[in-house]
Amino acid sequence: MVGGFSILLWVGAILCWIAYGIEYSNDPSSSLDNVYLGAVLALVVVLTGIFAYYQEAKSTNIMASFSKMIPQQALVIRDAEKKTIPSEQLVVGDIVEIKGGDQIPADIRLLSSQGCKVDNSSLTGESEPQSRSCDFTHDNPLETKNIGFYSTTCLEGTATGMVINTGDRTVIGQIASLASGVGNEKTPIAIEIEHFVHIVAGVAVSLGIIFFIIAVSMKYPVLYSIIFLIGIIVANVPEGLLATVTVTLSLTAKRMAKKNCLVKNLEAVETLGSTSIICSDKTGTLTQNRMTVAHLWFDNQIFMADTSEDHSNQIFDQSSGTWASLSKILTLCNRAEFKPGQESLPIMKKTVVGDASETALLKFSEVILGNVMEIRKRNRKVAEIPFNSTNKFQLSIHETDDPNDRRFLMVMKGAPERILEKCSTIMINGQEQPLDESTAKAFHTAYMELGGLGERVLGFCHLYLPADEFPETYSFDIDTMNFPTSSLCFVGLLSMIDPPRSTVPDAVTKCRSAGIKVIMVTGDHPITAKAIARSVGIISANSETVEDIAKRLNIAVEQVNKWDAKAAVVTGMELKDMSPEQLDELLANHSEIVFARTSPQQKLIIVEGCQRLGAVVAVTGDGVNDSPALKKADIGIAMGIAGSDAAKNAADMVLLDDNFASIVTGVEEGRLIFDNLKKTIAYTLTKNIAELCPFLIYIIVGLPLPIGTITILFIDLGTDIIPSVALAYEKAESDIMNRKPRHKKKDRLVNKPLALYSYLHIGLMQSLGAFVVYFTVYTQAGFRPSTLIGLRLEWEKDDVNDLEDSYGQEWTRYQRQYLEWTGYTAFFVAIMVQQIADLIIRKTRRNSIFQQGLFRNKVIWVGIASQIIIALILSYGLGSITALNFTMLRAQYWFVAVPYAILIWVYDEMRKLFIRLYPGGWWDKNMYY
Amino acid sequence: MRQQLRSRRAPTFPHGYRYRLDDQDEVNQNYLADEEEEAEEEARVMRVPNLEEEEKEEEQKEEEEGQGQPTGNTWWQKLQLMNEYLWDPEQRMSLARTGQSWSLILVIYFFFYASLAAVITVCMYTLFLTISAYMPTFTERVKPAGVMIRPFAHSLNFNFNVSEPDTWQHYVISLNGFLQGYNDSLQEEMNVDCPPGQYFIQDGNEDEDKKACQFKRSFLKNCSGLEDPTFGYSTGQPCILLKMNRIVGFRPELGDPVKVSCKVQRGDENDIRSIHYYPESASFDLRYYPYYGKLTHVNYTSPLVAMHFTDVVKNQAVPVQCQLKGKGIINDVINDHFVGRVIFTLNIET
Repeated sequence: MVGGFSILLWVGAILCWIAYGIEYSNDPSSSLDNVYLGAVLALVVVLTGIFAYYQEAKSTNIMASFSKMIPQQALVIRDAEKKTIPSEQLVVGDIVEIKGGDQIPADIRLLSSQGCKVDNSSLTGESEPQSRSCDFTHDNPLETKNIGFYSTTCLEGTATGMVINTGDRTVIGQIASLASGVGNEKTPIAIEIEHFVHIVAGVAVSLGIIFFIIAVSMKYPVLYSIIFLIGIIVANVPEGLLATVTVTLSLTAKRMAKKNCLVKNLEAVETLGSTSIICSDKTGTLTQNRMTVAHLWFDNQIFMADTSEDHSNQIFDQSSGTWASLSKILTLCNRAEFKPGQESLPIMKKTVVGDASETALLKFSEVILGNVMEIRKRNRKVAEIPFNSTNKFQLSIHETDDPNDRRFLMVMKGAPERILEKCSTIMINGQEQPLDESTAKAFHTAYMELGGLGERVLGFCHLYLPADEFPETYSFDIDTMNFPTSSLCFVGLLSMIDPPRSTVPDAVTKCRSAGIKVIMVTGDHPITAKAIARSVGIISANSETVEDIAKRLNIAVEQVNKWDAKAAVVTGMELKDMSPEQLDELLANHSEIVFARTSPQQKLIIVEGCQRLGAVVAVTGDGVNDSPALKKADIGIAMGIAGSDAAKNAADMVLLDDNFASIVTGVEEGRLIFDNLKKTIAYTLTKNIAELCPFLIYIIVGLPLPIGTITILFIDLGTDIIPSVALAYEKAESDIMNRKPRHKKKDRLVNKPLALYSYLHIGLMQSLGAFVVYFTVYTQAGFRPSTLIGLRLEWEKDDVNDLEDSYGQEWTRYQRQYLEWTGYTAFFVAIMVQQIADLIIRKTRRNSIFQQGLFRNKVIWVGIASQIIIALILSYGLGSITALNFTMLRAQYWFVAVPYAILIWVYDEMRKLFIRLYPGGWWDKNMYY
Repeated sequence: MRQQLRSRRAPTFPHGYRYRLDDQDEVNQNYLADEEEEAEEEARVMRVPNLEEEEKEEEQKEEEEGQGQPTGNTWWQKLQLMNEYLWDPEQRMSLARTGQSWSLILVIYFFFYASLAAVITVCMYTLFLTISAYMPTFTERVKPAGVMIRPFAHSLNFNFNVSEPDTWQHYVISLNGFLQGYNDSLQEEMNVDCPPGQYFIQDGNEDEDKKACQFKRSFLKNCSGLEDPTFGYSTGQPCILLKMNRIVGFRPELGDPVKVSCKVQRGDENDIRSIHYYPESASFDLRYYPYYGKLTHVNYTSPLVAMHFTDVVKNQAVPVQCQLKGKGIINDVINDHFVGRVIFTLNIET
């Protein structure tokens, strides 16, 4: 309601009422025109305000519907009774019970616990489940085992605890309130719009004051001067523009929502377009968030597995006997199972009970071998030792499905070096061979290589237990281990990775060509992080880190010149020791950076570092702890699937599919909207001159007023609205992803060439065209231009009812008034006709309209049709309502301005031609906006 | 300051929360850092007066030393920047353009505007080619004809006191002035005496000068000011002249000259007991039509009808409406009170 144009319009409205006040005090019977005008102006402000609010509310509603807030219940013991109450009714001191699957309803200190494990990932970023007990193990509440935190999830077990903090005083609540305490910085587009408002308001106010002074010094009464001032303000302020911008942004927001970017804050639509650095998570955003078998090593060879989203073509050699053994181990030595009831789903989509690696192995074998469950059924399990961190292996003993073979098969998988220790033979091409030095060496090379790719490597071995020692009836005891666990036969290695999403490398390349730096920030191990960074192109194929150079030149890391390396992998530990200056240096000098082993808190430091460099930073995040960084970033992007509510609340945008590639499409939309807003504003500003000139001429030359204030409002809020929104549908002129992100300070939305070209070129041509129509109407009615000059005073006298025209005819006041309204209508129609040409030329800024395609954007034509229809209705439909100051215009007057419209088109095509012919030249610099 | 902020926040923490994970603290530190900055900014604002004083002193010193290069004062810097923008002596640039660039842009704009001016001239020229100098293209806006009265002194209320000549003297002057063009001698010299009762149609080329019919002041008899130089105002019997607005080519329907008739608009019809019209027909004779436009019909004088209100109720305002009557005459347009009619009030005091 307040701010920018609204203030100007309020000023205009108040001036109207003041003018009426003066009139009224002089002559109580004076007309109410000024009161109406003031009311209309106030109405315009209020309506645009309501409209903007409505749009905001609508997008907020999307968000509200997005996070369905289910009221949380807590099981509390009060008065020795167990009660279920909404968790916000909990008070400190309440005893609550939690069980697996519950969200913890408040910060609690555990009083008892039975195998309770919690998932604190949203708080600390640690994804491993953590056990909780009632022992006090650490001074720090976040470290100690006897405290459960509000909004974290209890995964298994049960516990009883006493509430120690509720609501905002919980740890999560504090982080959330910290996040909301971060001052929301103005979005780049808000800054741009403000800049634009300043320009226009500056022009309006200074022109208004200059002409107020001129009018007063020309001995106009103050009342008239005030009315001129109102006219100048109304002509200068693009009343409909802010609403148009809001609509344009929300249209783009809708388009982005279709592409899985849900925009919470409308202005953020554009922010994404001006982003110059994206700090992206790894897991889930760049990767599929699913362990997948990437490589296999058997028969002394490394095979590659298909890691694409559907695993469709596994091309490695499956004929070897070793693979047969390996595949058996894969299927049997695995506790993971598909959840029942998903037979119809493709294998990769099925839900699995089991940990990430086992899931990967299960799906891998299911894809290659078919029904794993069936195979397991045929090879009945007789004993099993599950994986644990001390053994670092998993073992199971099975009957075989070969009825002739009575031996038990023992299969084992685990950390490769531990597995190798237990082996004395190795299987090569299906044959067992003694494990000698050379094969061990081969194993180590393979292991190092796969490890170097950042993959999690598992070793597999087996042993057929001799039937004589272990008859069918033998009872295996896993506690005493009454079976051999050494001298096994090593079969192969298998490595897994969370593979990058297949769309990501493309997206990263796009970012790179768009001049956007992609920084990976992850909690993962540096090697894994680097491997993923390489595979998606965040570290490009030919760039090296300091460590790589050291390795290549065979020198110590310290000897390498830091700045030779394009890429850098920085761990959280290193980051901790860095001063802000060092961080700035690092960010400025390396084009490809990976931050590994970072805590979510360090994200904030990285974001601040980037912002110090003047970059517009986009940050992705999902945890509660990410929310300050999301807030701090110019645009925070929360993950729709993995993200916590706190992160989604703090973010400006939610990625519904957690996919990095969606960010890139968002960037594209954001850049397009910036370009299109430029066009919209250029379109809207142009006619300001044609609306302003009449007043200036009226004051100085004394012509009867060519266009009235109400008529101007009908252009600004009537004919021009739909066309300016239509420009939002314009396609990009060139590949917008091939240029640098715009510079915050240099690439303004409204720059000097835009203002000059709109005001002094096209705007002036429009006014001339409109004046020709105006003079045509007056001349044909009897008033030649020579008569009109200086006629204003006599013309407007109510008691002169026999004013002579150029032919000696005499006009009554009302006849003149009616002619004046016809002039308004003609002027209005002339501007409308020329705005059609303006709309067409604004489709492009550099390319010819014919390159862009005149008919590709259908909405433009809807806009043009709307202009014409509105004008027709105003003239012929409402022409009889005197308050609107429209009259029925003779048909031929509609076409007088057409040559000028064509002239505008031709002139602009010439401008674009010269820009294309001499890129970078004088013309380009001064005429390209 | 940090300590303060911390303690301000501290009460919100329960005892256990004093100890926080290092990372956790980092978040806080960052926020605290932000707040610190803000606080520092505030402090800076608070300090500003001192700073300025100091700087002024410094400035003075520096100026004394002959090197006016103060730093830190943002206003001064802005002014300097502005100044530099207006005129940068080093690069010889004004408003970020060199002289060469300025002349180039001025030349370009000159040619652009010159060609625009040429275009507009051509357009206006072609417009005038299609316009006749003698006959307006459209006359529908000026029709139907309006009506106006004389004397006219910016008001349609005739308030005067018969015994005080000052209150009506200006009407007399106005009427005298208006009727100068109708003096018999002038009319006889300039205009022809054409036969009454029929149109004075002058065929021939458009651009030929047209003759005008005489309308002599003496036609107005008692209201001519010849016998009674006060036009009856001195006796409370005011004369009011009525004329029809000129419209090029306008002809009243044949054989039916436009008549004038006046009556009380609202109120008692007997407030006006008698009106004399001059010429006695109370009509505009057909011979004054058509009008050929002021370019060729130079000496045309609009025909008049004088209303002599010989017996009007005194000492009260009497609203009078004079209407044109005749075939095709419209006198009841709601929005326009001067089309085919005129309304004025007479308030004659004695």
